[in-house]
Amino acid sequence: MSLFVRKALVVVMVATTMLPNPSFAEALSWIEAEIGMLRSLALGSLPPLPDDVTNLVADDPRAAAFGQQLFFDPRLSATGGVSCSSCHQPERRFTDGLDKGQGIGQSKRNTPSIVGVAYSPWLYWDGRRDSLWSQALSPLEDAAEHGGNRLQYARFIESTPEYREQYETLFDPLPDLADPDNIDRVFANVGKTIAAYERLLMPGRARFDDYVDAVIANDTNAQQALFSPDEERGLKLYIGAANCTQCHNGPLFTNNEFHNTGVLSYAGDVPERGRIAGVREVLSTQFNCRSNFSDAAKRECAELDFARSGYEVMGAFRTPSLRNLENTAPYMHKGQLKTLAAVLQHYNDAPLAMIGHNEAKPLELSNRELQQLEAFLNTLAAPLATADRWLSPPSSSFTNYGSEEQQR
Amino acid sequence: MARISYIVLVSLLLWSVPQQIWAHGGVVEEEDLCVIKVNYLRGHFKIYQPLIDGHREYCEDLPNATETVFVMEYLHDSLGAAAVDFRIIRDVTGKGRFARWEDVAEVDDLDSATVFYREPTIDPDLLTVVHDFKEEGDFIGIVTANVDGDQKIYRAVFPFEVGFTGLGYWPFFIALLIAIQVQYLVMSGKFKRWRQRGNLVALLFIMPLLWSGKTVAESQTEWQSARGVYTVTVTSSLEPIEINQMHSWTLHITADGEPVSDAVLAVEGGMPKHDHGLPTRPRITEELGEGDYQLGGMRFHMRGDWEVSIEIKAAGKTDTVVVMLTL
Repeated sequence: MSLFVRKALVVVMVATTMLPNPSFAEALSWIEAEIGMLRSLALGSLPPLPDDVTNLVADDPRAAAFGQQLFFDPRLSATGGVSCSSCHQPERRFTDGLDKGQGIGQSKRNTPSIVGVAYSPWLYWDGRRDSLWSQALSPLEDAAEHGGNRLQYARFIESTPEYREQYETLFDPLPDLADPDNIDRVFANVGKTIAAYERLLMPGRARFDDYVDAVIANDTNAQQALFSPDEERGLKLYIGAANCTQCHNGPLFTNNEFHNTGVLSYAGDVPERGRIAGVREVLSTQFNCRSNFSDAAKRECAELDFARSGYEVMGAFRTPSLRNLENTAPYMHKGQLKTLAAVLQHYNDAPLAMIGHNEAKPLELSNRELQQLEAFLNTLAAPLATADRWLSPPSSSFTNYGSEEQQR
Repeated sequence: MARISYIVLVSLLLWSVPQQIWAHGGVVEEEDLCVIKVNYLRGHFKIYQPLIDGHREYCEDLPNATETVFVMEYLHDSLGAAAVDFRIIRDVTGKGRFARWEDVAEVDDLDSATVFYREPTIDPDLLTVVHDFKEEGDFIGIVTANVDGDQKIYRAVFPFEVGFTGLGYWPFFIALLIAIQVQYLVMSGKFKRWRQRGNLVALLFIMPLLWSGKTVAESQTEWQSARGVYTVTVTSSLEPIEINQMHSWTLHITADGEPVSDAVLAVEGGMPKHDHGLPTRPRITEELGEGDYQLGGMRFHMRGDWEVSIEIKAAGKTDTVVVMLTL
């Protein structure tokens, strides 16, 4: 780091300490460029959920209702004891509080939240799937997770009358399972209903979003009522000196891209290759956008067509959203960092990566500033926008799914 | 005071020289880079003891008998195509730091001396292994690369010590050095002067930066190539350009005012301030005629200054246009 940048940082730090004492604080003022940045982060800037051209039932409420039943059903496993919700627990923002997921065995990575993930072109920490439905299929056959296989699941749908009925309402009549292609087709459709359900899981308005409205309205009283001085300064750091918006940008606080941030390897494991391996896998996986099981015309697979690989994405992992961080510790792809404070300290230090190249640069923020950043991040906590009835197992498998309006 | 810290520094440097001389196995330090040489094939070699030392990098000798991660980032493509295995043996050659492959080859029962072995594996980018050292002592690492089937076997042999004492005084010396330096700066008043002057200079530089924020892409749409051969007019399908959205550009290319057809275009892009490229790999998807080319797969994933360089080859003339934009 150049001497100039160091000096600039010193000035920023000194300037921060010269700000008024909290006891008689005035609301921070924001310059126009900052207000533009705040607006871009507010939930109001979230565009409508893009269509999933690979999944014709993606926005069918009947598919979502069916998907919800499957999501919470532990019979979709080798043991009858593991459902999607075993790791993606609604009360923990669809995470599990563990370093790595625990299904039949221990999974390889930390369970990510799936709230708002329908906006991401890539799924998994390393983006090794390119649709929600193809992602949903992998854990079902992973020996450490659900541990079953597609034939078992196809037969389960076939032999469970309420599931079979819903399946046949949405898709064609169940085909002959003696044909492997048919088994794959039923399996893919199972994923598509689970995806339709997951598309409903969206973050709700947080205190931060109200604060941005107050800033845009230039209502300093409302600003002060909504944010403490620490939270305001944390936000200022977030969009400024802390460089967070390089990756955690947009209304979901993620660019859904892949970055190497030099996170330490997990005990007992070698450092992970991340995206460079994920690209290879997604280009060759059976259920990707170009496959026969995708509903997209092949020319619609722009993400696959233009996917970037190379050493630049060695050790890179997908940027997670920072909305709804409450109840989602531990953090990072293997839960290496247990608290938000540890995460912020990590970015403040920005150590050299074990493999590849750490894109982050040391921030040289003070402990006080790191605390302010953490205070700000906590203003992003909010209940989901999704209606409660989607956030628990459906009370009955025989929900009146045909007549209900989709709720968000 | 300055003289004392100078003397300490020099003695520290002198004291560290023998270590450099010892490091003559298959692993050497080259300009701050730890390099493993598998014959003429080279790799960037790094060793970690993450449970104890976090991100701290070692090149050969290791302070602790603990879980240890070896990383070899291939600096030569042939290694990425080779089956590479990795073996660690207890040093039973009696040659210590001077052990070479000839000494290892003489060991009768290599397997019983082996504490870790990873089967030959082809990995296009790097080798990573993790081994938990149960005891301190002298070890020898052997990396074997099988290039082109069985035709060529290349090896790197590097003796190293686990639980070595060589670094034991380093922290002491460094702490002493820092203490002397800090005391000198404080006593001489230089620290105070440096801080006052530095802050003022930095403030002068940072003020314009604070006011130059831009929120929309620059409005320039026409760009000249570096040597003036081509003019490119850029039209984006997404206007204004937003971050994190895939879109395409239409490039209208002219030379001397005439549309250029049958051009071969190569596109690269990135953020010069962040040393990283575009998140996608954009390319020309269609030549639309009349000098128009569709550039698909554009996406920017951060706000800030971006550069997109477009190399144009047509009618034997090659030139590059750099489109700059601020998001």
